[in-house]
Amino acid sequence: MSENKGNISRRDFLKGASIGIVGGTIGTMLVYSYSPWRKAYFPKVKRKLADIGACKNIKITNISETSWFENAALMGDIKGAGGLLVNQYDYNWPPFGDGSGLGKGSYQKGIAKIKHLLPDKLDEAWAVTEKVSVHPENAGGYACLIEMEELDGKKHKYLLDSGWSYKWTDECFKREGIDRMLKNREIEALFISHEHFDHFWGLPVTLKYDPTITMVIPDGFYPEGLQYIQDAGHKGKLIKVKPGLNPVVPGFASFVFAIPIICRVYGEQSLYFNIKDKGLVSVTGCCHQSIIQFAETAFREIKYENDKFHGIYGGLHISPFEDWDPKYDDLVLSLGKYGFEKIGCNHCTGILCAKKFIAANYPVVRGTARFRSKDTAYLGNGDKITFGV
Amino acid sequence: MERFGENYLEERKLVKRWKGPIPAIVCLLFTLVIFYATWWIFQDPRGGMRMYTPYVGYMYTRWWLIVLIWMVYLFNYWPFKRSWLENSHPLLKGAVLTAISVGVLYVLIKGFFEGLLGNFGLAYFNPGQLMKLPGVTEFFAIEYAALACLMFAAIASWLSPAWIVACEEAPWQDLKQPGKGVSILIMTFFLSTIVYFMTMHSHMGILYYPWQYFTSIAPPYWEKFANTVSGNFHVSWIMCCTVSVWLVETIWERYPFNLIKRNGLRRVVAFFGIIVIAFAMHFFLYFAQELTWGPAIRGTRRAFAPDWRWLHVGEMAVFFLVPALFITFYCDNWPKKFSMPVNVIIRTVIAIIAAIVLYIFYYKTSYLFLGTQKGFSHPQQFPMIPTIWLINIWLVHHWFMDNWPGWKMVPKTAEEVAKDHEVKEAMIRDVRWNPTFGWGLGVGVVAGVAVYFITIALLPIFYGAINIIK
Repeated sequence: MSENKGNISRRDFLKGASIGIVGGTIGTMLVYSYSPWRKAYFPKVKRKLADIGACKNIKITNISETSWFENAALMGDIKGAGGLLVNQYDYNWPPFGDGSGLGKGSYQKGIAKIKHLLPDKLDEAWAVTEKVSVHPENAGGYACLIEMEELDGKKHKYLLDSGWSYKWTDECFKREGIDRMLKNREIEALFISHEHFDHFWGLPVTLKYDPTITMVIPDGFYPEGLQYIQDAGHKGKLIKVKPGLNPVVPGFASFVFAIPIICRVYGEQSLYFNIKDKGLVSVTGCCHQSIIQFAETAFREIKYENDKFHGIYGGLHISPFEDWDPKYDDLVLSLGKYGFEKIGCNHCTGILCAKKFIAANYPVVRGTARFRSKDTAYLGNGDKITFGV
Repeated sequence: MERFGENYLEERKLVKRWKGPIPAIVCLLFTLVIFYATWWIFQDPRGGMRMYTPYVGYMYTRWWLIVLIWMVYLFNYWPFKRSWLENSHPLLKGAVLTAISVGVLYVLIKGFFEGLLGNFGLAYFNPGQLMKLPGVTEFFAIEYAALACLMFAAIASWLSPAWIVACEEAPWQDLKQPGKGVSILIMTFFLSTIVYFMTMHSHMGILYYPWQYFTSIAPPYWEKFANTVSGNFHVSWIMCCTVSVWLVETIWERYPFNLIKRNGLRRVVAFFGIIVIAFAMHFFLYFAQELTWGPAIRGTRRAFAPDWRWLHVGEMAVFFLVPALFITFYCDNWPKKFSMPVNVIIRTVIAIIAAIVLYIFYYKTSYLFLGTQKGFSHPQQFPMIPTIWLINIWLVHHWFMDNWPGWKMVPKTAEEVAKDHEVKEAMIRDVRWNPTFGWGLGVGVVAGVAVYFITIALLPIFYGAINIIK
C-alpha cells in the first residue's frame, strides 16, 4: 500500500514537474528573449585594428557600370530559365551560348564554340557567340580603373572587374585608354569582385591586352569559372583570396566575404582604401554583403584615418533590377548614421535607390548619364570620382 | 445520415503491414521518393517547371497546405461519402483527392487572388496590373504578386487549423457539411484578411515607390520594435503560430488546453495560448541567432539583417514541425505509456533534437540535391519551401492514403471508438491537482527557467563546435 502510495506521489510529482518545466521554459522564452536584459549576453565588439597603412588619394574611372541595357530583357531571361537560383552558365547567355535555348546551356558546350579564338580574336569570338546566345545585344559589363597614390608619391593602377560583353567591354576599354595601359603593363593587377557574368565573363578583353596580368579572385569560384580563367588565356599569377582581410599595398586591402549570391555564385571581394587625413573609402563590384556590413567589418577589422568612413564607389546591390523590398528601406534609413562624405554609387545600386539616397540628403555624387548610362542620379559610364585629391 | 469524413481520422484504425519500424521506414522512403520526384518536376531550379523562383513555388506550396487543411479539417472530405473513403484503394483516393486539391489551388490563385482581388481590389495581387507600373519587370511583377499571396497564406495556414484545434469548430460544431466547412472557411478567411491588413499590407505598401502613404501605414508601426520596416517580423510569429497549432494538435494531443473543463474557456485559452507559445518561439529563436551570429545590424543584408533574422525564425520553426508530424503520422505518437505531461515532454524533446539534426543536415547538404545554394542567407534560400512541400506530401499520404503501403486502414468498431475516448478522458482525468503535483509544478517551473538559461549559455558553445557551412 505504502509502495503504491509512493508510486502515485512520484507520478504526480513528475506530472507536475513536466508541466512546470514546459511552462517555465516557455514563460522565460517569452519574457526574457527579446527584453533589453538579453543584451548582457552579447559579446563586446573587440576591434582588431589591423594596420593596412594609408595612401594619399585614389581616383576611380568608371569604365562601365551598365552591366545590361534592358532590365526587362534580363529579367525575362531569368524568369524563363527558372529564376535567380539557376546556374549562370546554364542561361545560354553570351559568351557561353550554344544555340540550345534559354536555360539549357552549359559552360562546356558554350566555351567549345569560342575557346580557340580566346583571347586574341575577340571580335570573331563575339560574332560566333552572338548567333547562338540569348540576348547578346543586352550584355554590357562592369569594370573600373583605380589609380592610387601612396604617401611617398608612388602610383599604382588596378582594374576592378572586366565586364561581360567582349564587344562592349573592348569599346569601353578603348574609350578610357585601358587597352593602352594594359599593353604597357601599367596596370598591376585585375581584382575580380565575384564570379557573376557581368563582372567576370569579359575577362578575355583584359587578357587580350595583357595575358600576364596578376589576377586576384575571391575564394568560392565554381569549377567553370576557374576553367574559364585558363580557357580565356590567362598566363599570369592567379591569387585566390580566402575570406577575410588581404592587405595589398600600404593603404589598400581587399576583403573577401563568404556569401552565397544569386545565379549560383559564391563569395565576393571588395576593396578598402585608407586615405590619409580623410578616412576609409570602400570600392565595390556589387557589394552583395551590403555596404553596411562592409562598414561594420571595417570597424571590427581595421584601423583607418580619423576612425571615419569617407567614401563609397561602386555597386551597392540594392535594387539592381529596379526592384524593391522594404528591407532596402532599412538600408536607406540606416546609411546616414555611418557618416560617409562622398557616395559615388552606380550599377546594381539601382537608379531608384540612388534617388532615395538623394531624397534622404546623402552626399551622392551625380553623374553625366553618358555612354548609355541612363540617369544622372549616379555616376555613369566615363565619369570619374576622386577621394583625397 | 451521411457523415462524409467527419471524425474519419479518429475512427480509422491503421494496422501495420509489418512489425517494428519497417512500415515507418517504408513510408518514409516512399514519401521521400515522391518528394524528390515532384520537387524535380515542379520546384527545382534545374528541373521541369522551375517554380522555385522562389516566391511562385513558395506561394503554391503554402496554399496547397491550406487547401489540404480545408478539405480534411474544415470540410471533412465533403462531398466524398464515408463508404468511399473507407472502401477505396489508397492510391485511388490519393490520386482523386490530390487532383481536387490541386484544382482548388489553381482556382484560388488564378481565380480569386489574381482574377478577382487583383483586378477589382488590390492591384498587387495581379502581376498584369503591376506590370502597368513603369519599370516593373514581368519577373518581379510575378514575384511581388506571389509574395502578397503567400503572405496571406501564411496567416491562413495558422488560422484555418487553429479554428479546429483550439476553437473546436465552435459555434458550428453541430452543423452538417458543407455548412460547417463553409462557415469556418468564411470565418477564418475573414480573420486572415484582418490580420493580413494589419501585418502585411504595409509591407506591400512600401514595396512601391514612392511609399503608398495614403493606402498603407508607412513607415509601419512595428519599425522601432522589430528594428525593420519589413513584414518579415510578422512572418516570423505567424509561422510560429502555424507550427504551434500543429505541435498542440499532434505530439501534444491538444494538451495542456484539454485539461480545462469549461468549453468556452478552454477554446479561448487554447486560441490565445497558441499565440503566446508562438511569441515565445518568435523571440527565443531570434535571440538564438543573436547568441550564435551576433546582434543584427539594421540596414545590412543577409545573415545580419533584422528582416532576414525574423524570416529565419519562421524557417527555424518549421524544422520543428517536420519531426513532430513524423512522430504522429508514422510513429503513432510514441511514447504513450506515461502520463500525458510526461509523454508530451518526451515527444517534445525528441522533436527538438530531431529538428536540430534536420536543420544541420539541411544547411550542410540540401544545396547538393535541391538546386538551392550553399549558405544560410542567400536571398533565394527558403527552407520553408522544401520542408512544407514534404509536409504536404505527408499530409496527402496520411490523410488521403491512410499511410499506404506501410499501413492498412480498417474502420474502428463503435466499441473501439468508445474505448479510445475513454482512454483519452482517463489521461485527462489523470492530471489533477494535489499537493505533490503542486510541488512538482513549482520545482518544474524553476527547472524550466534553469533549462532556458543553461540553453542560452550553451548555444554559442554548441554552435561554435559544429561547422555547418564549410
